[in-house]
Amino acid sequence: MQPYELSLARAADAIRARTLSPVELVDSVLDRIEQAEPHLGAYVTVTAEQARRAARAAEQDVAAGRLRGPLHGVPLALKDLIDVAGAATTASSRVRADHRAQADSTVAARLAAAGAVLVGKTHTHEFAYGLTTPQTHNAWDRDRVAGGSSGGSAVAVAAGTATFALGTDTGGSIRVPSALNGVVGLKPTYGLVPRHGVTSLSWSLDHVGPITRTVEDAALALTALAGHDPRDPASLAACGPDHRPVGATDLTGLRIGVPRNYYFDHVAPEVEAAVRRALAGLESLGAQLVEVEIPMTRYIQATQWGLMVPEATAYHERTLRTVPELYQADVRILLEAGELMPAGDYLRAQRARTLMRQAWGRLLEEADVIAAPTVPATAVKAGDETITWPDGTTESVSDAYVRLSAPANITGVPALSVPVGHDTAGLPIGMQLLGRPLGEPVLLRVGHAYEQTQPARRTATV
Amino acid sequence: MSAAELTPPQAALWAARAGLPVPAGRHAAVAATANHIHSVVAVLRELDFADTPPAAAYRAGEENDDAAV
Repeated sequence: MQPYELSLARAADAIRARTLSPVELVDSVLDRIEQAEPHLGAYVTVTAEQARRAARAAEQDVAAGRLRGPLHGVPLALKDLIDVAGAATTASSRVRADHRAQADSTVAARLAAAGAVLVGKTHTHEFAYGLTTPQTHNAWDRDRVAGGSSGGSAVAVAAGTATFALGTDTGGSIRVPSALNGVVGLKPTYGLVPRHGVTSLSWSLDHVGPITRTVEDAALALTALAGHDPRDPASLAACGPDHRPVGATDLTGLRIGVPRNYYFDHVAPEVEAAVRRALAGLESLGAQLVEVEIPMTRYIQATQWGLMVPEATAYHERTLRTVPELYQADVRILLEAGELMPAGDYLRAQRARTLMRQAWGRLLEEADVIAAPTVPATAVKAGDETITWPDGTTESVSDAYVRLSAPANITGVPALSVPVGHDTAGLPIGMQLLGRPLGEPVLLRVGHAYEQTQPARRTATV
Repeated sequence: MSAAELTPPQAALWAARAGLPVPAGRHAAVAATANHIHSVVAVLRELDFADTPPAAAYRAGEENDDAAV
């Protein structure tokens, strides 16, 4: 096994035990980038020289017996919506060609303080307003979409060109590419991870979270990321615990809600089968499966759009007037059309969100965790715009990819995507675990227990 | 086309009222996208919200730039 294939947890442990040096690890990841990146297009910028410098400093620290933190010397990629002092935050857009961040975002600063080494900034669907990330290729089949909007981060982690990464999630943008590339993605509870210094798509729906190779890695990253920051008005006062899950796989007494509606409607048969196999696996670990009814499903897309569309347009108000031609066509038309939404529609969406949060609160009294597919289909071919379901109905790819993710953005509940196998074409499938607000420890426990029963996942061959 | 749908000139007028001049060649596309968004969002009018407040809220007195990372 090469160092670039190590999980965050194993790499960090090896560095602590001095069986692996940060220089060896960072060099291995940078070599992997050199070899694989031409086929993937995951990165906007690779910061090789700075990474090598940081790795040498980390190595000297280890030699002197100083560990900066639990992520000491571990290579990290950041979605290019996340500010790093002195670097451009391009949002994968020509609009940001001359951008230069003045200061670190809270998350970049926290990961640096924990010892992580930045190797580069990864591609997003332009300004996170889309579900495919067209600049980037799927790690398992380069003719297929990466998913989005955190496509570059998910592909980098899947292919071993980053040990872990951060993404953002407004309607599924961490979980969708994680599922489509066979890695773990965690959208934390709204407000748990501060967004200060992160380019917004939609303030009331945006989240930042980790993309990793294992659930344990997601827990380690979350522990470094979580905690109050008053510069994010949504930031919660609660400071999370150490999220690292313990090794036990016993799930006795845990109630897992299996939706009887919505989450298994218009889902590819191979995706449904893989998720139900994983559910049977959780049941065999002692969990009790209980059927649950998802509330207000008719209003999910309407609420998501009623919040996101006008908020995104508001964020881009100035540049849509000064440099509209610099936006990609798909993003520009959504921003323009968003100018035409009346305030009444936005307020109805905010009031519908209140009702939906209340209804989900009642739902999550019936079960400790809800389990469902993350996305209803595996990665589509690049350029495909619609999915046709067996009953003859068609759905746009972006609508399909957002459909099962949006409830967690609207309600703010935490959601974890865990790989649960591949379809017959070899494309990864993800299962989504949703929990109560601040219920990350339960999600991580369930996801980790599931992973303990499965063979270790390998990085994608590129 | 239903009576609630915007024509391309109406879409251009609404955009202008919002302070966004839209080039003539884009009026039809903006109208079509706005009409599609409207068709999705309009179902929220079915809900009886009674006294339900919007989710957007703020806590007075908690602004503080002295952040710790």
